[in-house]
Amino acid sequence: MDDRWQRDVCAIAGVGQSAFSKYSGVSVTALAADAALAALADAGIDPSEVDGVVRNDMDLVSCAALGDAIGAGNLTYYGEAGPGGSGPCAMVAQAVAAIMSGQAKTVVVFRSLNGRSGNRFGLSAELDPVIGGAETFTEFFGPYGLLSPGIFFALIAQQYMNETGLTSEQLANIALVARKHANNNPTAQMYDRAMTLDDYMGSRMLSTPLRLFDYCLETDGASAVVVTTTERAKDLRQPPAIIRAVAMASGPRPQPGQMYPVLMRENPLSMPSRYCAETLYTRAGLGPQDIDSAQLYDCFSITALLQIEDYGFCAPGEAGGFIESGQLEVDGAMPFNTSGGHMSEGYIHGMNHVVEGVRQIRGHSSNQVAGASVSLVTSAPPPSTAALILVSA
Amino acid sequence: MSARLAPRVDDPASRGFFELAANGELGVLTCAQCSTRTHLPRPRCVGCGGKNLEWAAVVGSGRAKSWTVVEHQVHPLFPVPYTVVLIELDDEENIRMVGHLPGRVAVDESTEFVVDFEDLGPDRNGNATVLPTWRIATDNG
Repeated sequence: MDDRWQRDVCAIAGVGQSAFSKYSGVSVTALAADAALAALADAGIDPSEVDGVVRNDMDLVSCAALGDAIGAGNLTYYGEAGPGGSGPCAMVAQAVAAIMSGQAKTVVVFRSLNGRSGNRFGLSAELDPVIGGAETFTEFFGPYGLLSPGIFFALIAQQYMNETGLTSEQLANIALVARKHANNNPTAQMYDRAMTLDDYMGSRMLSTPLRLFDYCLETDGASAVVVTTTERAKDLRQPPAIIRAVAMASGPRPQPGQMYPVLMRENPLSMPSRYCAETLYTRAGLGPQDIDSAQLYDCFSITALLQIEDYGFCAPGEAGGFIESGQLEVDGAMPFNTSGGHMSEGYIHGMNHVVEGVRQIRGHSSNQVAGASVSLVTSAPPPSTAALILVSA
Repeated sequence: MSARLAPRVDDPASRGFFELAANGELGVLTCAQCSTRTHLPRPRCVGCGGKNLEWAAVVGSGRAKSWTVVEHQVHPLFPVPYTVVLIELDDEENIRMVGHLPGRVAVDESTEFVVDFEDLGPDRNGNATVLPTWRIATDNG
């Protein structure tokens, strides 16, 4: 592999979030500004010093609009990455690229959405009586009722169960650990709602084999981070979360379109996270044994489960046994989504996972891993994916 | 089901699929040079990179690779419950189609499917709109 990646040059100097709710009552630009200004205050950087902004390709807020809202100076860099939940770690990677190439020095990376009161992922947006075209390829899926990410991931989960024997009782551990962690996180949407295995097994079946509690939350909210040089970050208010490595991956022959065409790949279960992990660990000079906490993208329980294997925490096909053996707990081999993640903290499309990765490095998590100095953060697979590793100074 | 969600049939990338469906054939884009099947359609052959690709009829039968019974309604034209099946075609390597069955249908990896063709009537430009649909194979086909 190309070995030009330069470790530890940039760092996350500040993190910020808006309140998470089911109804924000404000615009997504207002939420984004809340998160970005909180991140800048956290870092001790004046908004006028911001010269770069990176957005998600599904965000409704433009880079310029965010810059305007927070009182940034002239933006010498603005960019975006995606698609959707595959974006956040790639967005941070883009900020790093901008800084390392000298195009900006202080870059705000954000994701903002009214995911419950505005555009809801759970409902099909395709209400036109004719579906597809424009190389979306949804003409091959929509007419058969394959109309939401939940139905797509149900097919993925069923295939995985067919091939490995994973049971619902095993899969439940993803949701149960996420909820347990959220119950310690006062800003999590599910802070005050405990969950038992009986609660999980009794929750509504939405698309077999996935139940309500296999799905992420729908959230109004925003998360943001400030990326700058490590050299500068060391002089700022907070201990820096140094960006040891970033990686993006499409995998080979990813198929055109976005999510549903993944079913037509050579193997629908083969996610780009396997390729992303290889690049990431090589660039970082680290492996799964070095990871102190794993903030894995979890739009659905099965999505997180597949990544546990792809990032090397257990052998392929063995995640079911791995997750029922306590390894996801704070004192386990792979402390998992210590803020509660998408399933119980809030669904900020992977950006809140970056924030929690930083909290672990600083020792500020509500489910702090003792002595944590290395955080793994991932973004959505599929269709493509991205990930990063943060380390303490 | 009464009202149907129809596929767009006139997109340059996929219209050959629906042209064959209108003739009662299941089509997969096939390389004239190396015979590799390319599904979903691509501008170049995934086997040899060739550009000479033609929609060719393939066998209209297959077996379930995965399935889900949808219990939570996400679209007004799709009342629940219904079953979505990912079908791997017989005699082809990794060529899959999606099927829809009303109700909760018991499916496993041995369940065999055969294709039917449902005429949804012409689109607003007068193009025939015929959807390949899948039903569970019975002994008499």
